[in-house]
Amino acid sequence: MAISESNVRPDFTKRTLNARVALFRRMGAGYIMIAPFLILFLVFAVWPIINSLYLSFTDFNGVKAGEFIGTKNYERMWGDERFIKALTNTASYVVLIVSLNTVCGLALAMALRAPSLLNQICRALFFLPAVTSTIAVTVLWRTIFTSADYGLANTILHFFGLKTIVFFSSPEWSIPILVIISLWGGMGGTMIIFLAGLQSISSDMTEAAAIDGATSVQRFWYIILPLLKPTTIYIVITGLIGAFQVFDMVYLIYSTVGNIGGPLDSALTIVPYLYDRGFTRFQLGYASSIAWVLFGIIFIMTMINLRLGRDNK
Amino acid sequence: MVGSNRSPWLKYGIRIPVFLLALTMLLPYYWMVLGSFKTVPELVKVPPSFFITDPTLNNFYDPLGNKPPNHILGLFQRLTDAPFGFLTFFLNSLFVTVTITVLSLLIASSAAYVLAKLQLPGREIIFIVVVASMMVPWQVLFIPNFLTIKDLGWINTYQGLIIPALPKAFAVFFLRQYMKSLPDEMLEAARIDGASEFRIFGQIVLPLIIPALSAMTIFTVLGEWNNFVWPLIVVQDAEHGTLPLALSRLNSTIFSGPGTQGVLMAASLLASIPTVIMFLAFQKQFVEGIALTGQKG
Repeated sequence: MAISESNVRPDFTKRTLNARVALFRRMGAGYIMIAPFLILFLVFAVWPIINSLYLSFTDFNGVKAGEFIGTKNYERMWGDERFIKALTNTASYVVLIVSLNTVCGLALAMALRAPSLLNQICRALFFLPAVTSTIAVTVLWRTIFTSADYGLANTILHFFGLKTIVFFSSPEWSIPILVIISLWGGMGGTMIIFLAGLQSISSDMTEAAAIDGATSVQRFWYIILPLLKPTTIYIVITGLIGAFQVFDMVYLIYSTVGNIGGPLDSALTIVPYLYDRGFTRFQLGYASSIAWVLFGIIFIMTMINLRLGRDNK
Repeated sequence: MVGSNRSPWLKYGIRIPVFLLALTMLLPYYWMVLGSFKTVPELVKVPPSFFITDPTLNNFYDPLGNKPPNHILGLFQRLTDAPFGFLTFFLNSLFVTVTITVLSLLIASSAAYVLAKLQLPGREIIFIVVVASMMVPWQVLFIPNFLTIKDLGWINTYQGLIIPALPKAFAVFFLRQYMKSLPDEMLEAARIDGASEFRIFGQIVLPLIIPALSAMTIFTVLGEWNNFVWPLIVVQDAEHGTLPLALSRLNSTIFSGPGTQGVLMAASLLASIPTVIMFLAFQKQFVEGIALTGQKG
């Protein structure tokens, strides 16, 4: 068949047309496939960010539409004693839980990294609390720390000849209790992540160092630890983000004690305070501004951590 | 093998305390199981007993079938006496968790496929917005979402519990990263053969991302089963409550006398069993899933 303009062109156009139709069909399918997520995402994840920011500049109280009051909510926060208390409490809690969790998780991972059956069982035991509902865990620990003489904690104290401690009424015990419960529940998860990080470290370096005469401590400190830096940073960052948002425990134990604050507001952390303002007193505008301050704190912490992690080469 | 230079004393010296520590981790669980089966007099004994001398099922139900006001408020009695009992909360949690997991992973994986493998205009921007949204804590979102749900009339409904939980940015992010590594040639070949994108997604892509999907399934199930704050805000009645909510209400209403602790322990036990069983059955997938997200995250 002679190839002339009239022969080639219709074929070419038809092929391009087919290709274009097929492309549109694929794009159409693409839009359909992404639509459910995108719509829900816009409604429940994007819009709320904008709305929440707007609300934080109003005095919305859930009944009448809020009036724009500028930065009054934010100004109010810095003079709000309860908020400052929530900030300091949260800070103590975060520092304690992140440092302890990271150290314990690493220690456990180092101790249990050999692939033996005993280690497997131990690892499972340590991880078990992490899969249990926080609520169940908190209820359980609440009965352990009860001040009545049959409480497990006080029984152990008596066994060592110490006096009964009224845990939930003592302000100095509030944060430590939260830390203990959270540590019990979180150590296992941290351990698993460190274990994964340890496995990716080839044993060549450590073996070479051992041959050169380095002790286990030296091997750990100078080889393993630096190689674990990315994992550690990840754990610290996610730990910080999670710790700042603590709510379930505090609500469950102290919601009826001192307006969710515990004795002398010693257990008040940021999110329970937000809940109190927003859903008990319906000061939704103020609560929104607290949420944004929380966001700001978490954001800054994360940035600082990333920067610190990058600099220390 | 690392550690082979250690003296045997050091090796066992570390192991024994660690093993004991592992057992102490179990102690609270043991306490919980113990308390679930103790009678009221035994619960108040000082010092408390570590072995049950007089086991009872009263914390779960009253075998004598007493009627109020003489009956013991066991857990399952809250099924027969009250219109909505513990079993209702358990089934609600099950329904909500499974629905959210299945639906959210379905829409997340199809969105991830589009973002990873299809040349849709604007997909870069969409992906950036999705990733950026992961930085925002849920506390910022839940007040407006509560207002949205209220305006839709979805307070105290299943859709109010389920639908806002469906868009999961992290799942989209994670699955998209995972899908990026799928070979384009395979997909192109399928396209040339005339397969629609839906078919490619369902028959080729999905089977290939099963490891990532199981990791996401585990996370989603755990997160949604234990989710407390959202049901707390959305559900005020008893009909639609989930398990954490039920436990919390139980905790605040009856944590007074010593006898009630048995019921609380029984409730915590029942609430913990499903996830513990899931963990013990899928241990390997759990650990792999966590490691996977740690690498990509």
